[in-house]
Amino acid sequence: MAANANTLTNRLKQQPWGLWWLQARRLTRIEVRRNLLSWRASWIYFLAFVPAAILLIHAVFDRFDSRNRLDMSDDTMVLAGIVQFYYIRLGVFFGCLGIYARLIRGEMVERSLHYYLLSPVRREILLLAKFAAGSFSAILLFGSSIIAAFALTYLPYGTAGHDFVFNGPGLAQLEAYLAIAVLACLGYGAVFLLLSMIFRNPMPAAMLVLGWEAINPVLPSILQKISVASYLRHLMPVSVPGDGIFALLTVETEPVPAWAAVFGLLVLIAVVLAYSCYRIRRLEIRYTTD
Amino acid sequence: MSVYKHDYRAYSGRITPAWARVGVLVRYGLAEAWSSKITIGLGLASMIPFIIFLIQIYLANNPATRLLVSRNNLRFLDVDAEYFLRALEAQCWFALPLMSWVAPRLITYDLADSALPILLSHPISRFGYVLGKFVAAFASLASVTVLPCLVLFVYQCYCAPPGWTMANLSIAFGIVAGTTIWITLLSMVGLAFSSWVKWRTLATGVIFAAVLVPAGVGGIVTAVLRTRWGMLLNLPFMMTQLWQRLLGVPEMVRTARDWSLPSAAILVMLIASCLVCAAMLNARIRGREVVRG
Repeated sequence: MAANANTLTNRLKQQPWGLWWLQARRLTRIEVRRNLLSWRASWIYFLAFVPAAILLIHAVFDRFDSRNRLDMSDDTMVLAGIVQFYYIRLGVFFGCLGIYARLIRGEMVERSLHYYLLSPVRREILLLAKFAAGSFSAILLFGSSIIAAFALTYLPYGTAGHDFVFNGPGLAQLEAYLAIAVLACLGYGAVFLLLSMIFRNPMPAAMLVLGWEAINPVLPSILQKISVASYLRHLMPVSVPGDGIFALLTVETEPVPAWAAVFGLLVLIAVVLAYSCYRIRRLEIRYTTD
Repeated sequence: MSVYKHDYRAYSGRITPAWARVGVLVRYGLAEAWSSKITIGLGLASMIPFIIFLIQIYLANNPATRLLVSRNNLRFLDVDAEYFLRALEAQCWFALPLMSWVAPRLITYDLADSALPILLSHPISRFGYVLGKFVAAFASLASVTVLPCLVLFVYQCYCAPPGWTMANLSIAFGIVAGTTIWITLLSMVGLAFSSWVKWRTLATGVIFAAVLVPAGVGGIVTAVLRTRWGMLLNLPFMMTQLWQRLLGVPEMVRTARDWSLPSAAILVMLIASCLVCAAMLNARIRGREVVRG
């Protein structure tokens, strides 16, 4: 047993980690530039920053009373609602769909993936570098948009807002929102990357995922575990109840500790990425049928 | 290239009427749309709520069933305007995934394969081309929305006691008007966004996003700026309100805040959306080919 472990360690040490790291960095840099600095990516900026733009209008044109704690607690609920219902369900979902589905399937459609596959780079390095690039772009966009939305929510309240953020629960809430954004980007990203490799057209499957995530709160608790949004719901610092018929049908599950929710989601991401690495080893391109 | 023969003359025989040329596009469009197994799957899936509602009508008009459940609440067996609203909503929401799948098949291939200049070199105008594609999309959606709802209405007329039909004729008009507005808008949105997205697979997601993301943005506007007018961006909310009014269903109080919108504002917004889609189509549907390099 110990001998086997030693052999494995030796084999791992003999791998060209330096070369792989260099290749991954270069690939990531190319993809990040393509994701963030191209005209085609402009709609993702819209998805990410539209709540901040609306909050900016609110900050500039609406009257704020720094002593009015009632308004501030209202705005805290509104911000939680924006993260829970807009970012997780729509913004991050469609943003990640656009970013990650393009990484492999987009290259196939543009008939440029074979250049990567012909180069002396391990396919796993290619996949992980593309995933890292997509994750970096998505986290940068949605993370900064959440920071902007948070700042625009509390800045207009002046000293009361400052107190809430630095002497109250504000910073902890911001940390939680950022953690949710990061995990949402990684979770949805891993799922969409895999879907784009399995299906020639990943959109029907992605729409099924959207439908599954939408009806997830009304499903039995065991089924709620097979969902990205359900893990993220447990991390919300301020919970906003559903509205209308969904509020009646929502199945309240036992609260899950934050570490368990994060660990569960990270395991899901790791499993999906491991399977994606396995799939890309057998990936074949037939441009005539794609 | 030199042209040596100068004896070519324009065709002087009998030409087909303009509507027939559009009909060719419609025919090929419908064949293309329904050649996919996913389209057929979505069409069949949209029949599931229709069958459930059909069974409900049968049970509601069956004396034995009514006798069996008479001790309990009979409300769920009522076939009234609210029942038809539920049926209309179910069928109309099934039309969204169908449209997001069908519209890119109708238009994106022509654009991605640079086939538009060839098509428009035939005796058909840009308007005729868009009209042909629109009719194909509209007919596909009508088969899962207005037709099933009208079949339900006709079946209820057949099963119900005499006098029910005349007393509830406004429901049929509401169904036709409500579904026509919805599928017109959906067809325009589908064709417009498909024409702007070169990658067909992405177009399906973009059409979904074009309906759902503005709804989310409208929700944020409503919550942040404390105004109900943000709901004008929320297409599902607007359509539900419009359908309720067209069918004469009393508006349900869903939340503490009154977010109801005037019908005129809803109609103006829907017309504006259609005009924006028409402008998008006008910008993209042109007989030209861009060669980069």
